[in-house]
Amino acid sequence: MNKLKLNYTSLSFLPILVCIPLGYQLINNIHFGGFKLFQEFLISAFNPKIDNEIIITVIKRLNETILIGFFSWLVSIFFGAIFGIISSNIFYKIFNIPNFLYRIIRFFLTIIRSIHEVVWGIILMQIYGINFSIGIIAICIPYIAVNSKVFAEQLETIDYKSFESINQINAPKFSSLLTLIWNPIINTFKNFGLYRLECSIRSTVILGLFGIGGIGTSIFLSFQTLNFRELWTYLWSLAILIILSGLIFKKIKFNTTNKILSIFFIAVFFITILFSFSYFLYFIFNNNFENFDSVSSLFKSSSDLGLFDFLKLILETIILSLLSTGIAISLPPLAIGIFNNNSSKIFIKIFAFLLRLIPTPVILLTLLTFNNPSLSLAALTLGLHNAGITSKLLFTNLDSQDKRNYIAMKSLGISKKTSWLLGLFSQQAKSYLAYCAYRSDIIIRETAIVGVIGSVGLGWQLQESLSSFAWQEVTIVLIAYSSIAIVGELINGKIKNSLT
Amino acid sequence: MNNTVLELENISYKYKNDLILNKINLKINSGEKIALLGKSGSGKTTLISVLNGTIKPTQGEVKLFNKSYEKLDRNQKREITTIWQDLRLIEDLSAEQNVNCGLLAENNFYFAFKNLLNISSFKKAHKYMKLCRLHNSIYDKKIRKLSGGQKQRVAIARSLIQESNILLADEPFNNLDPKLITTIKNLLLENVDKNNTRKSPKTALVALHRLDFLNDFDKVIGIRDGKIFFNIKRNNLKKIHLEKIY
Repeated sequence: MNKLKLNYTSLSFLPILVCIPLGYQLINNIHFGGFKLFQEFLISAFNPKIDNEIIITVIKRLNETILIGFFSWLVSIFFGAIFGIISSNIFYKIFNIPNFLYRIIRFFLTIIRSIHEVVWGIILMQIYGINFSIGIIAICIPYIAVNSKVFAEQLETIDYKSFESINQINAPKFSSLLTLIWNPIINTFKNFGLYRLECSIRSTVILGLFGIGGIGTSIFLSFQTLNFRELWTYLWSLAILIILSGLIFKKIKFNTTNKILSIFFIAVFFITILFSFSYFLYFIFNNNFENFDSVSSLFKSSSDLGLFDFLKLILETIILSLLSTGIAISLPPLAIGIFNNNSSKIFIKIFAFLLRLIPTPVILLTLLTFNNPSLSLAALTLGLHNAGITSKLLFTNLDSQDKRNYIAMKSLGISKKTSWLLGLFSQQAKSYLAYCAYRSDIIIRETAIVGVIGSVGLGWQLQESLSSFAWQEVTIVLIAYSSIAIVGELINGKIKNSLT
Repeated sequence: MNNTVLELENISYKYKNDLILNKINLKINSGEKIALLGKSGSGKTTLISVLNGTIKPTQGEVKLFNKSYEKLDRNQKREITTIWQDLRLIEDLSAEQNVNCGLLAENNFYFAFKNLLNISSFKKAHKYMKLCRLHNSIYDKKIRKLSGGQKQRVAIARSLIQESNILLADEPFNNLDPKLITTIKNLLLENVDKNNTRKSPKTALVALHRLDFLNDFDKVIGIRDGKIFFNIKRNNLKKIHLEKIY
């Protein structure tokens, strides 16, 4: 008998097997009480509420969302670049600083990055109370660390020979550094920076669900009052905002050869940064800690969390991540492969867009209308949301791919589905899996959001501990979260390296 | 009077388990034009990298103006300029920005910033680019869009703009057509041009493959397997010397 050989294509489909245990639990947990509500939710999508009052609210809420999203993006991109520079080895080579320092900074940033912005938001809200600025700070903290990683990775690509050449000119160290890093920084900003603004807006919406403000808060309030028509007005307006911002960004081209425009961009950028930073300092030094007296309270607070329960929560979080990742990897190629015709593709694209658009807590709350809270439901939610994101990438790559193999296979009489699989998808499978490895890092962090809402894993425990001001428990949960995320990042890093 | 500008004392360089340079002793006097000959992989590029301080030798000492390289200040180190075999230009910058990089050492951080923003003065850069026969239509073109010969001349212009006294060049005539080779050779090896519009390096060590250029040099050094086989005046060079290294 032949041995089973795994290749990138089969590896892209294999994770769908997670649906067997997941489906079993979901079917067992189904209840019919909320089907009517779910039906109402779906119908409202085609009949959103539109009147003067709600339009004014939408504009006001969108303004808040844009403001939080924009400021957090701006600050996080600027400080992300700075931390990216000081966590890249080029900085240490130029200034002859021992390399171990950048390893320490990188480790520190990895810890910060491993905790989701929602977790930072909840913690900061407990300390400072609900505040508009909390949203900006909560997004900035992990985003600075995420951006710094991307900038540092780009700076690592600087040709060592260029460094030697500039270094040999014996210019002042800062001049050499600037000359070497300028283009990688500008290119990263062009290719990645604008995408991060979209991420900032999405994060603002999710934080809004937890009371920070903006359109997220309105979405959550309309869901709580089961006002689905109003809910869809907010969701569609958010969709318009995201589509519009995407279109605007496509049009914006930074022409670095235009001197006046370059100076203008840089001046605006630095003035805004200066303004935002001074505002932060003002905010931090003018706010009293409401619930968090000092670091010593960490040690005064007690923890009732048993070791067994704690290990169970960690295991739940890991299983949740694995199940969600499985869905996010396999669902898009499976759906595109099975429903491989133009009209189905349009439907899949719209569905994927909605999955990306609707914040995960809202998807989870909607599914909770006809299913009991469980690990499977949380995994399904997270998996579906991320499948929306991975499918976007898969569609983009498949659309731009050379289709000659596919056409040749079809001309040989091979079925459309098989031709798609072997002639198109098989060539994308490797890069698709590499992206999914990166995505699974994010999924691990996002388990916190569904955990809080869906009563699963460490996210739920974090919410409980924060509600009772059990700071020691909060610290333990955060350490556990970080550890899982760091280990996950290390494993995914190895997978990514082997795939690229 | 001792007019040694560069000196290598018992220099060895080991990379992993390979001995690339083996106990090299060398003195370069001010005003000397030296041709460095040797097969590919004989250690010419490594020797140049040791001389300009890019590579630290595993053993021995490099002296510039009778001072250990580590003890030199930035201004003294600026006395050496290098044309690399692989050019080492910054691909994303334009030709004129790359040439202006040669001025980074004598200017402050603000100049570097202006250069990247394209708002610094390119007057001097254009002067040297013109001398290297670069047409003004390529001044603002990114390096990656230039031909091999154009890139070569941008690298030479970047080196000349530094107006250093010592030139280290690793096969600087690659990619150039015969007419340009003569122009560039004169630029690199003639001390002052007739119109006195530029300052050329007084001392030069040039790694070469073409033996028909040797007439322009005072001395010839032959290197093989990381060892100097001969270091003689050009007039004394015989066929037997070349047979030793090729």
